[in-house]
Amino acid sequence: MIGNDIIDLDLAKRESNWQRKGYLNKIMTTGEQELIHNAQNPHEMVWYLWSLKEAAYKIYNRQTQHRGFIPLRLECKEFEWNGTDHYAKVYCGIHEFWTQTRITKSCIDTIAVGEKDNLKKVVSLHSKAGIEKKNGIPFRIVDAVLKPVSISHHGRYERIVSLIE
Amino acid sequence: MNRAERINTLKAIVKPFVKNHEAFDTLTEETDFISDLNINSANLVDIVLDVEEAFHIEIDNASMEKMLTIKAALDIIETKLAEK
Repeated sequence: MIGNDIIDLDLAKRESNWQRKGYLNKIMTTGEQELIHNAQNPHEMVWYLWSLKEAAYKIYNRQTQHRGFIPLRLECKEFEWNGTDHYAKVYCGIHEFWTQTRITKSCIDTIAVGEKDNLKKVVSLHSKAGIEKKNGIPFRIVDAVLKPVSISHHGRYERIVSLIE
Repeated sequence: MNRAERINTLKAIVKPFVKNHEAFDTLTEETDFISDLNINSANLVDIVLDVEEAFHIEIDNASMEKMLTIKAALDIIETKLAEK
């Protein structure tokens, strides 16, 4: 399974005021709020954590067929950085997800997978050709096998990802 | 305030965040904030906070999880108002 989330940081700044009273309490755990308050760039940290939750939720939603607005139940932990990419894990009850994120000045680009090794099997697709939807969930057919696809679009950015064997 | 008046208050709250205006014009109780109105999920938080302020209620996390449609939002508002 795969989920992704892309955030145009300039658009996020215009669309959302995370400093609004009560806002973070609704979407971030105590530990995540601490990370934000201690971050050198709190704006980037808010949207980084949000992208992890969104990407992980896409997999959770596909696996469980459960829909809900559950940011507080998606907990981001175990952060690592290898100098290029940010890695983390997102927990939701018994479910766990692995994430990989590339952050630039104006864009946060996160991919989540349900099995750690799948991070190595991520491919970017450059068009929506051949992508179909079943129960609102995108997939593509490769050699008669359904491959999950995840699409994210925000402001100036769009990314379509899938898994290869 | 009756249900029709509450829908109007809710519509006014939701409107600034709507990306699909056609769906907004034909809004029903079944309308979904995300899949129909294309509201950014980060803005759902604003809707929850605006609803709390407009109706003087507090929406707990379990209720917020279900707040995906106009109907769900109205039901939560009515439940919370009845508890006051």
